Amino acid sequence: MPKRLQLSTGAWDWVAEVSGARISLTPGDDDVTVSRSGAHVRVEGLAQPMTGTAMVSGDQVWVTVAGEVFLFSVTHGTPRAKATRDQDAFTPPMPATVVRILVKPGDAVNEGDVLIALEAMKMELPIRAPRKGVVRAVHCRESELVQPGHVLLEME
Amino acid sequence: MIRRVLIANRGEIARRVIRTCRAMHIATVAVYSEADANALHVREADAAELIGPAAATKSYLNIAAVIDAARRSGADAVHPGYGFLSENATFAEACEQAGLIFIGPPGSVIRHMGSKTGARAIVAAAGVPVVPGETPAAQDVASLAKAVTTIGLPVVLKAAAGGGGKGMRIVRDAESLEESISSARSEAERAFGNGTLYVERLIDRARHIEVQIIGDTHGHLVHLFERDCTLQRRHQKVIEEAPAPRLTPGVRARLTEAALAAGRAVGYINAGTVEFLLEGEGDDARFYFLEMNTRLQVEHPITEAITGLDLVRAQLLVASGEPLPFTQADVHATGHAVECRIYAEDSRRLLPQAGRLIHYVEPAGEGIRVDSGVTEGQTVTVHYDPLLAKLITYGPTRDDAFRRMTEALGAYEILGLDHNIAFLLRLLERPEVRETRAHTRFIEAEFATLAAPPDPDVLQAAAAIAAFVSSRDAEAVIADADEARPDPWDLIGPVAW
Repeated sequence: MPKRLQLSTGAWDWVAEVSGARISLTPGDDDVTVSRSGAHVRVEGLAQPMTGTAMVSGDQVWVTVAGEVFLFSVTHGTPRAKATRDQDAFTPPMPATVVRILVKPGDAVNEGDVLIALEAMKMELPIRAPRKGVVRAVHCRESELVQPGHVLLEME
Repeated sequence: MIRRVLIANRGEIARRVIRTCRAMHIATVAVYSEADANALHVREADAAELIGPAAATKSYLNIAAVIDAARRSGADAVHPGYGFLSENATFAEACEQAGLIFIGPPGSVIRHMGSKTGARAIVAAAGVPVVPGETPAAQDVASLAKAVTTIGLPVVLKAAAGGGGKGMRIVRDAESLEESISSARSEAERAFGNGTLYVERLIDRARHIEVQIIGDTHGHLVHLFERDCTLQRRHQKVIEEAPAPRLTPGVRARLTEAALAAGRAVGYINAGTVEFLLEGEGDDARFYFLEMNTRLQVEHPITEAITGLDLVRAQLLVASGEPLPFTQADVHATGHAVECRIYAEDSRRLLPQAGRLIHYVEPAGEGIRVDSGVTEGQTVTVHYDPLLAKLITYGPTRDDAFRRMTEALGAYEILGLDHNIAFLLRLLERPEVRETRAHTRFIEAEFATLAAPPDPDVLQAAAAIAAFVSSRDAEAVIADADEARPDPWDLIGPVAW
């Protein structure tokens, strides 16, 4: 009996039907055969055979193929409701230090304006306005260490 | 001879220095922050000293803590590696005052070369060509704008006290000048504690060529040929090679002589690198002094590959007061070497990445060298540089070295965080790179294509692999149940099914 899986990298989604070593993927309508040797998994049935490495971690899977890195979220069975991405949730992509706050509540900003400058691993990461608008609140201080999920700022 | 070296650094370079010390029967002392208590360099050194909390300013950049660790551990010399305190004149002098040998040039040389403007003046006086530029005495926007007008757009704003691309901005139009000044200045202030900006004519479509030099205290100064480090992003080198391809013997001779002239002008001792921008073709190519790095360079292994010399060994001998173990006539370049810097990063968004290396296997084989600072199971934190490793390949010809690099990158297995291997592979495939037609802003100019989404077949293969290992997961866990693994990560490896 084939197993049905929902796969998502965040940017791309698939439905996979797995019957032993045979896998059909939608979208793509690809039917491929998979075999494993140690840590390597070989995929046949595409334009050319490809080998990758994978590791399961909870309900996620790390995969690399041709040097590309993917982190898949895997759901068994029917798809769950897809979380919508809130464009205005200004949160750091990784633990970072707030180096500059360039706006205050009430400021009008244009799309692309730098609102907050973060620094992580010696690199500066600007948080930019996704659209024209007004800053409602700022929830961080300069030199504060902030974590992913911490909402740094709100826009009206 | 030096007997016990404290290595004031971490990661791959600390391990690199330990390797040579061990071969020379010199004892090593590692230093580490609280975040690095289990790091490889700590385990591999003969002794280790805790120097502070994770933040580099409180540990690896803390001069008093490092000197104190050296005293405590009975070290008689300090190797600074690169980055951190390696180009800090105050640190070099503090070592000397504490009776420790600083493995590098004297503090006064670091200070002279550490100031971009000072370095320019010194080498220009020695007849080395420099790029037109100036540091306005008044640093307000109007004065900087005036300097920009005098030099003519496009220009580069640089931190007068800096290096490594920090506080550097290219300005192509007058409108963006003010924002560039403010961001360059604040970056310079944070990185170097000095926001003074220097304005320089932008040499467009240039190659970055640098010459390795090394001098001793007996008046010898030799060059170890050049490296081509043209492929950079955000002013950080990504791929380097030695020798520089498509360089005529005449230009090579002038370039290495200019590097030696720059070194002689400051009385250079120990290993250093003189960086140049090269524009033009053939024997008409012109080069300009960019800056001098008064330390061992990240990319020194490619010079070691083509010369067969151990640069750290030469550094240790010179610092011990011995003469250089080779003369200029002994130094020959044979074959070709390439280095790729393996970064923990999202190459498409240019964001550094942190995470746990749940699977990590380095490539190995003939002509392959990996200088790494990490191992499987280790967590890569946000506290330090995201460099995981340097992959170096060597071969009789440039094509051989490149072919080996492509194969070695393909064989590198890293799971648990995003990295730049696919980006490097894509870069190596580009005809501009193969034919040495790239310039220092090639990656920036071609970023849209270099950072394009993965090949559709690669995506499909990855999805198939993810589906396969996930569907097998439950069975693998059952098969493994008796094994009582302490590690929560389930390797898709040699499980019996």
